[in-house]
Amino acid sequence: MAQQANLGELLSTLDSPVLSERDEVTAIFKENLNADRGPMLVNTLVDYYLETSSQQVLHILTTLQEPHDKHLLDKMNEYVGKAASRLSTLSLLGHAIRLQPPWKHKLSQAPLLPSLLKCLKVDTDVIVLTTGVLVLITMLPMIPQAGKQHLHDFFDIFGRLSSWCLKKPGHVAEIYLVHLHASVYALFHRLYGMYPCNFVSFLRSHYTMKENLETFEEVVKPMMEHVRIHPELVTGSKDLELDPRRWKKLETHDVVIECARISLDPTEASYEDGYSVSHQNSARPPPRAADVTASPYVDPQNSFGSVTSTPHSASRPMSSTPGQLPPPLSSPAPRLCAEAPQAALWSPSLVCGMATPPTSPGNVPPDCAQPYSKAFGAPGGKGTPSGTPATSPPPAPLCHSDDCVHGPCPPPTAPHTRKEERTDPARPCLHRQHHLPNDRGLEELPGSKELPLSDLPGFLGGLASEEDSIEKDKEEAAIYKELSEITTADTEPLVPRGGFDSPFYQDSLLGCPRKTPSATAGAQGTSVHPEPLNSSLDKLGPNTPKQAFTPIELPCGGPDESPAGSRECQTPPEPRILTPSPFRVPSQRGAGLGSGQPPPYDHLFEVALPKAAHHFVSTKTQELVKKVPGSAEGAWVPSASPLEVLDRLIQQGADAHGKELSRLSLPSKSVDWTHFGGSPPSDEIRTLRNQLLLLHNQLLYERFKRQQHAVRNRRLLRRVIRAAALEEHNAAMKDQLKLQEKDIQIWKVSLQKEQARYSQLQEQRDTMVAQLHGQIRQLQHDREEFYNQSQELQTKLEDCRNMVAELRLELKKANSKVCHTELLLSQVSQKLSNSESVQQQMEFLNRQLLVLGEVNELYLEQLQNKHSDTTKEVEVMKAAYRKELEKHRSHALQQSQRLDTSQRRVLELEAQLAKKDHLLVEQKKYLEDVKLQARGQLQAAESRYEAQKRITQVFELEVLDLYGRLEKDGLLRKLEAEKTEAAEAAEERPDCCNNSGLGPARGHSDAVSGHNGETRPPRPGSTRGSGSSSSGSGSGSSQLSTPEKPPAQRAGPFSSRWETAVGEPSASIPATVGSLPSSKSFLGMKARELFRNKSESQCDEDGVTGSGLSETLKPGVDAGVEAKTPLSPDGPRPAPPSPDSVGQLRIMDYNEAHQEHS
Amino acid sequence: MTEDSQRNFRSVYYEKVGFRGVEEKKSLEILLKDDRLDIEKLCTFSQRFPLPSMYRALVWKVLLGILPPHHESHAQVMMYRKGQYSDVLHALKVVRFVNDATPQVEVYLRMYQLESGKLPRSPSFPLKPEDEVFLAIAKAMEEMVEDSVDCYWITRGFVNQLNNKYRDSLPQLPKAFEQYLNLEDSRLLSHLKMCSAVSRLPYDLWFKRCFAGCLPESSLQRVWDKVVSGSCKILVFVAVEILLTFKLKVMALNNSEKITKFLENIPQDSSDAIVSKAIDLWHKHCGTPVHSA
Repeated sequence: MAQQANLGELLSTLDSPVLSERDEVTAIFKENLNADRGPMLVNTLVDYYLETSSQQVLHILTTLQEPHDKHLLDKMNEYVGKAASRLSTLSLLGHAIRLQPPWKHKLSQAPLLPSLLKCLKVDTDVIVLTTGVLVLITMLPMIPQAGKQHLHDFFDIFGRLSSWCLKKPGHVAEIYLVHLHASVYALFHRLYGMYPCNFVSFLRSHYTMKENLETFEEVVKPMMEHVRIHPELVTGSKDLELDPRRWKKLETHDVVIECARISLDPTEASYEDGYSVSHQNSARPPPRAADVTASPYVDPQNSFGSVTSTPHSASRPMSSTPGQLPPPLSSPAPRLCAEAPQAALWSPSLVCGMATPPTSPGNVPPDCAQPYSKAFGAPGGKGTPSGTPATSPPPAPLCHSDDCVHGPCPPPTAPHTRKEERTDPARPCLHRQHHLPNDRGLEELPGSKELPLSDLPGFLGGLASEEDSIEKDKEEAAIYKELSEITTADTEPLVPRGGFDSPFYQDSLLGCPRKTPSATAGAQGTSVHPEPLNSSLDKLGPNTPKQAFTPIELPCGGPDESPAGSRECQTPPEPRILTPSPFRVPSQRGAGLGSGQPPPYDHLFEVALPKAAHHFVSTKTQELVKKVPGSAEGAWVPSASPLEVLDRLIQQGADAHGKELSRLSLPSKSVDWTHFGGSPPSDEIRTLRNQLLLLHNQLLYERFKRQQHAVRNRRLLRRVIRAAALEEHNAAMKDQLKLQEKDIQIWKVSLQKEQARYSQLQEQRDTMVAQLHGQIRQLQHDREEFYNQSQELQTKLEDCRNMVAELRLELKKANSKVCHTELLLSQVSQKLSNSESVQQQMEFLNRQLLVLGEVNELYLEQLQNKHSDTTKEVEVMKAAYRKELEKHRSHALQQSQRLDTSQRRVLELEAQLAKKDHLLVEQKKYLEDVKLQARGQLQAAESRYEAQKRITQVFELEVLDLYGRLEKDGLLRKLEAEKTEAAEAAEERPDCCNNSGLGPARGHSDAVSGHNGETRPPRPGSTRGSGSSSSGSGSGSSQLSTPEKPPAQRAGPFSSRWETAVGEPSASIPATVGSLPSSKSFLGMKARELFRNKSESQCDEDGVTGSGLSETLKPGVDAGVEAKTPLSPDGPRPAPPSPDSVGQLRIMDYNEAHQEHS
Repeated sequence: MTEDSQRNFRSVYYEKVGFRGVEEKKSLEILLKDDRLDIEKLCTFSQRFPLPSMYRALVWKVLLGILPPHHESHAQVMMYRKGQYSDVLHALKVVRFVNDATPQVEVYLRMYQLESGKLPRSPSFPLKPEDEVFLAIAKAMEEMVEDSVDCYWITRGFVNQLNNKYRDSLPQLPKAFEQYLNLEDSRLLSHLKMCSAVSRLPYDLWFKRCFAGCLPESSLQRVWDKVVSGSCKILVFVAVEILLTFKLKVMALNNSEKITKFLENIPQDSSDAIVSKAIDLWHKHCGTPVHSA
């Protein structure tokens, strides 16, 4: 609660006049808003705003941040539902939206939108509707995609409101309707711009119904005339234009501009891209051109005529008519042009201002409701009376215009008609002065629209002072013409014309120049040629206005005619002036036609036929006059661009207000009210207030549009800058290019030089070459000569050679002959010597033959003597020899047999030897084996012996121990009874005990020894040993441990005897060893043989003794063992020798084996 | 050839299935068939393979020299041994060192003492450490060998071998143990060193008594196979393996006394595995003994 109270206080202080305080509170609120997320604060603020409409609160509300937007929207939604708060809520919404808050995209989902739509569909308050529609229009480009689901709502609203404009349900003030109409017009533009396909289909479906047909004719159709065909209608489809992708690329201002682009309404349209615009214009220019020719006469000429000089104007049309037609297409220098038209605008106003006579303070007619209808009506009225161009305006329109005060059309008529009007009944005088300025104002309002409002007074002043009847006449004439045409077109074309006449005419004059500067410039450029600058400037003025006209084609006829009229007035020299303009018009139009625009002509043609047109006009005007009061309204209102109408209304309202403020003293004001019979002030105030509200809304909407345009402009400016930069860049590049071209040229020059030098060198070279060629030729010639000479010489040489060869051959032949003869000679001599030697030999041989013959005879004689005795001897010899040979053979046989036998013997022996060796090895192995076995057994036996030794030791120890005890006991006893004999007996007894204790063992040993055949005397050592041991009982056990040794040593004397006895057993060991194999067959035999070799004789005896021994031993093994043990110690030799002997044996074996092997 | 391949095929199969003794038994039988047994081969065999229990006593007796290599003299030698045993026993009874109530192990000890000439003057004399060792070994041996004569002789031969053949190598075993433990698991060794337990490990139990009383006889005899056949190093690996097997527990103990106590009474259930691993380890480090012939 406290918080709320606090809030209330804060809210109240929010509007305090103290600035600082206000700022503080605002800051506090903003802080709270930042801190608090709840809806409470926002709600209170909204409430407060609705109560007080405080600007501060509005500011806060419109700058709300993200989380609060929902609350705000909810709250507003709530209030929109209530009729009472609807209007203010809507205005709040409008304020909020126009600032384009960051949460604007949420609007589409917010429940506020449907409720707004609903309210627009249901509500009947024009103000609310207008405001709502404006809000909706503002909102649409922000939520283009959301329109999808509400599209039909939008269209329905449009349908409803458009029909409203016509039907005026209830008693809606006309003034409001103007506003409503303007806003519906804007809605039309927006819907058409954004959803052309859907919208057109809606229009098609909605207005084909009969009940809506009228609305279409009256309201929608005129609107459509201000719109070009949307390209989307061709390329797009219903679905495509609702596609969110289409909208994603576009920002709000883009959408706005898009919508403006398709508009033909000069106040609405934007001709952004030069070319498209120019094309749009190009469609229009021809008529404009025609207009240009025509209109110049109307205004500019007037102005110039007054200000400068008429001649120009006179000359101008001539030149302009032919030249102007083409130029509008080409267009530079927009800015100049923009200024130019202003100047042009200014001048007439000034002139007008001069011309217009000051009038008495005009009363503002209370009936503001019907300004337009009256305004339009006025011209119509004028049209009728005028019949001829220069006729004075009819009274009725004047009255109307007077009534309206603001009426747009009356002004033009006024000046002209003033004179006449004065004669007219009620109205004229009263308001004249007032009217005049108004009229001027109206004329220039279009211009002033763009100019700051502050200029208005100037205009007005100028207008007021203007007093150029001519101009006015012209204007009037123009208007009349228009009117007349309008009337002619009444049935259908009425709308455009009417729209033209009043607002467009001059609105466009002023308004368009800026928008279509290019066209005007083009017009200028062409027109300027023949004329001086002034004239060009002048032209600019007129041209532009006319271009502005162009959008609406039909009116062209009007101006065309009017100029004619004006000319009549202006330039008397021309006879045609008297006749209605049509005469002229056609020619000019012809030019216009040349440029090619059929649609305007259709109308124009009708008008073109002078008489018919005139007639037609007159009749129509008359009709109009009749109709004016009633029908004009309906007809005119829609025909004019609603915006223009609204503009004018505002303008006039402002003028009237200004006038009244200036001219009427406060007190008189009230008087005036009453005086003029206006409605009671309260009511008036209310309407005025509402009007003001609507105006405000409109203004805000326009401002919003302006902002969007500004945004757009900024973008474009950036593009322009960029383009400029690029241009500069281009220029720089061009410069570079030039430089490079220069370089190239320099290079070319040097190239030429080089080429020249090169050719020179070439020539030099050629000459050199020619010279050298000559030399070569000469030399070749010489060479040929030499060649010929040499050939001659060679032939000679050849001849000589042949000669020499022949000579040589001859020489050879001679030589050979000589040689041959020599040879023959020598042969002959040889033969000779040979024959001689042969003869000698022959002689020698003959002698030998003789000698040999003699010898032969001798031998023959000898042979015959000796041949008889030798054969017997030889035979005997042979026989002897044969015998001898046989003997020897038998001997040899014998020898060989012996050899064989001996060899066999050797072989046998060798085999035997090998066998023996093998056997020997086997025997050795076996022996080894046996030895090992024996050793194993021996070891076992030894260990056993050792054990026995230990046992005996233990026993001895035990015995000694016992002895020790006994002796102790004995000693004790001795001590007890020393002197008694019993003591002696006691002494003997232990000895006996000792003997008996050892008895059995001794007995055995004795028996054994007895068996051995040796009667051993009882060992003294034993008794002695026992005695000694007994005697030396105290002596150490060391002696006792080897009790047998000492006796053995002592037994030295008997040793000789023992040796024989010992020798037998020692030999018996091998015997026993040998006995084992004996049982086995072959090996045993062999072994025995071997042993026999070594110990021949003993063998048998040993064997007997051994066997005997073994037999003797067998009965008592224990005893035998016992016997041996004492024996072996007695002869220390035999015991050790046994291993030794084995070792010796082994060694011997090895030696033998080695020998055998070796 | 066919037989050979069959044998090989089977042996592979046996190996896979896990029977180890089949092939060995056959080859051992072949070995034992020889007259004049080849001691070296027997040694190698018993080092490489575990002995079948039915031949163990015989092989041991041969290896320890209780029986000569000749089959022929076995009976006689055995007769001697028995005689010796009965004589000594008789002598002991005579001198009243032993009576019927005396435990067999002590009888063995007294017999051994008597044979080695170390019999104390009185049975009530305190036992020397080596006597304790003998007792432990004899006790284990008693479980392994049924016949008392055999038992006595084998025990005697075993102890003699320890005292003679291994006299020099036994004191080296602790060092070798450290070395191999370091190779196998240095962390464990460092832990032992940290606890200063290395010097206090039950080396007597392990190396002097040859794990008698430490391992159950069934696994112990496999170790002793190796010892009898001439390798005392196996003892080291058994010790190492014991430590490795009980590594976690040993690592958990950080007191040398506790460690020693634990090691003296290790759980018996895993002894078979320990011995198998130890033999593997021994083969790994010392190489599989190959028959020199």
